[in-house]
Amino acid sequence: MRLRAEYRVESNLKFLGNLDMMNLMTRALRRAAIPFALSEGFNPHVKLSMGTVLPVGVWGKKEYFDLELIQEMHPGDFIEKMNRVLPLGMEIQQCIKLDDKQDALMKIINAASYTFVLKPSDYDYSALPDRLMSQDKLLVKSRGKQKGIDKDLRPGIFKITVNYYEQSVMIGIWVNVGEPINVRYDELLDLLKDQGVKHEEVLDIFRSENFMRAGNVFYSPFEKVR
Amino acid sequence: MKDKIFRDILPNVSKPARYTGSEVNIICKDWDKCRTKMAFAFPDVYEVGMSHVGSKILYGLVNEKSDHLLERVYAPWPDMEKEMRSHEIPLFTLESFKAVNEFDVVGFTLQYELAITNVLNMLDMSDIPLWSKDRNEQYPLIIAGGPVVFNPEPYADFFDVFIVGDGEEVLLEFLDCCWENRHLKRQEQLLKLALLEGVYVPSLYSVYYNENGTFNKMIPLYESVPDTIKKRVVADLDDAYFPDKPVLPYMSIVHDRAVLEVMRGCQRGCRFCHAGVVYRPVRERSIKTLKKQASEQLASTGYDEIGLTSLSTLDYSGVDSLVKDLVKEYREQGTGVSLPSLRVDAFSIELANEVQKVRKTTLTLAPEAGTQRMRDIINKNVTEEQLLAAVKAAFQSGWLSIKLYFMDGLPGETEEDLEGILELLKKIRTMGDENARKKVEIRASIASFVPKAHTPFQWHAQNTIEELEEKRRVLSRNRMKRIKMSFHDSRTSYLEGVFSRGDRRLSSSIYLAWQKGSKFDGWSEYFNFSRWMEAFRESDIKPDFYTSRLRPYDEVLPWEFIDTGVSKAYLQDENEKAATGITTGDCRWDGCTGCGICPAFAIDLDIKEEFGG
Repeated sequence: MRLRAEYRVESNLKFLGNLDMMNLMTRALRRAAIPFALSEGFNPHVKLSMGTVLPVGVWGKKEYFDLELIQEMHPGDFIEKMNRVLPLGMEIQQCIKLDDKQDALMKIINAASYTFVLKPSDYDYSALPDRLMSQDKLLVKSRGKQKGIDKDLRPGIFKITVNYYEQSVMIGIWVNVGEPINVRYDELLDLLKDQGVKHEEVLDIFRSENFMRAGNVFYSPFEKVR
Repeated sequence: MKDKIFRDILPNVSKPARYTGSEVNIICKDWDKCRTKMAFAFPDVYEVGMSHVGSKILYGLVNEKSDHLLERVYAPWPDMEKEMRSHEIPLFTLESFKAVNEFDVVGFTLQYELAITNVLNMLDMSDIPLWSKDRNEQYPLIIAGGPVVFNPEPYADFFDVFIVGDGEEVLLEFLDCCWENRHLKRQEQLLKLALLEGVYVPSLYSVYYNENGTFNKMIPLYESVPDTIKKRVVADLDDAYFPDKPVLPYMSIVHDRAVLEVMRGCQRGCRFCHAGVVYRPVRERSIKTLKKQASEQLASTGYDEIGLTSLSTLDYSGVDSLVKDLVKEYREQGTGVSLPSLRVDAFSIELANEVQKVRKTTLTLAPEAGTQRMRDIINKNVTEEQLLAAVKAAFQSGWLSIKLYFMDGLPGETEEDLEGILELLKKIRTMGDENARKKVEIRASIASFVPKAHTPFQWHAQNTIEELEEKRRVLSRNRMKRIKMSFHDSRTSYLEGVFSRGDRRLSSSIYLAWQKGSKFDGWSEYFNFSRWMEAFRESDIKPDFYTSRLRPYDEVLPWEFIDTGVSKAYLQDENEKAATGITTGDCRWDGCTGCGICPAFAIDLDIKEEFGG
């Protein structure tokens, strides 16, 4: 059987790389004695597939993985067993059964939202969404594969929100992931800096959600399954 | 401080997971409720230090079994050091993020001679004076242990205390003593600590040298201070502490697996080997204990590999059934067993095949020398027939690449011995081509022999850098297909040689080298030889004095006061036998060879199982 799990990665674990995350999760699966399936061959590995990579330096509110089991297991049971062994700062929040026909996470996740937590200042953040969304092009230097090349983020940005709180301002940016344009959080940070946001005003950055986007609708990786 | 580190520093450094702490199985004790607070400092980067078994033992021992506290700190990589210095963040521990200078004791483990520059750098980053004489009771006690401190003298002026021998045997006693005497002046504290067996306080001795520069004597300044320091020895490993819940790193480390220390010590008697003497006698753990430790560690970590570690794991009496049982027990979960460097015989290959059932491993053999004559000199009791039989078995069972360890610069080495290495490599390749299903790859790693204190070869002159470079040219003059050779840096070996048989006068050179920027000297990208040579010049030290001299037997050696139990007569005798190519047996099989260590400690070889291989 297959399970899909949603988990949270707190700030104390935000510096882990993708391989570190994989190791953390497979070791937790072993500690929790989950009946995971193993691949064949000389170096058997747990049949675990993580969603899109959580960038180093960013924590995540809703991250996902799929797991193949060799025995039936109730999703609630899975959550309980895993949360008992997961380190501080990581927690499984939801889990559902997947049927065999469901596509892998890597295939379906095509959008994400990042939240930038900023120190309140004189800066007028409320004008930011319209100003950015009305541009034809939003050029930054690529930090991805073609490092340093001019990259237009505009077609990869779907929505920008601004919310004011007592101690902070939160800017949410909904972006495309993977093809045709992969928007990275650090490129968004560069974009904000180009707009006059100062580095020391950025208190925190996290990925708030991962989505399967269909047109203007953003589904969570759980929704289509249900 | 932690918030500042996470916000302002870690986003700008490579591998930030080295510095975040909060790993699974970390032990964060309540600072105010603990007695002696000790920072355990590993003078190398996190992924190296976290792989060290001794550190895991001491961490669990102090934190689980006493009211003292032990927290970890590793050498920050240079990019991190730069950030920390520019933000004025002192060196901190991974448990409490407290500055290292807030601790009562800072203990370094010295696994490698050249790590000393990292020690100085870590003290400097902690705002702790580097010289022992400049520290009073306001500062932590700076102590060191590990294999290097069997000749502590080159580092004596930097440390308040050295702990010699098996750390788990003495550390709690030591921390108790620190607690009881915490209100005393530093000098009085040191006098109390010096009464503990295995504890050496260098400042309590005067050292005298002869006119020709050789060592004369060392005299204790107080009557209560012992003339010799006897290493501490765990008598029964089954009773010794071993951690069931080792700290599980998030990032990949060098040895990323559950570890079983199947035995301590080695009885083979290779004449160049330092560890072979200082960790004698062999003491094993029983299969029962090891299986229990395996199951506890796997349950607490979730590792998918168990490593069987020791100086010569294939000699462990229970190795055959232990490996087979572990493979059987954990195979279904995809958990494998790994063996370090193998013994050179067919039995080893058979066991390696067993291990292979779960996970593919590399096959590593250490013939050490290329001719029988040289193997007899060094007492590596392996014949060419055994070696070829082993590689044949390996190739027949499917291995396609083999790694081999050799040494050059050994005493009495001739061109023939070097040619012997090349001949042997070619024979192994031929063996592969005849027995493997595909073309095979041979990798040979060639280290330069460095004479070490407390070994039968401690009197020998070390090859000069020029000699070693010439040997390297001889060995690598023709390219050989599918045989890759790699060489240790001869300049690094030279420096190791200076310190492994050095004395107290070297401390000023070490200090100068550090001042000039030396650190991470074990890392080729940071090693800078000319800086060291400048440091020697400026401190009026002729390093060749320590490496190139054939020492006479009647010369007093600066490390003689460290009592490993081995008799000087035995070492001398072994050295003489080497000169005539006479081998000495293995005391596990052939009876006592009279090294003197067992009677010195009133213990015996501790063999736990009926050997079944």
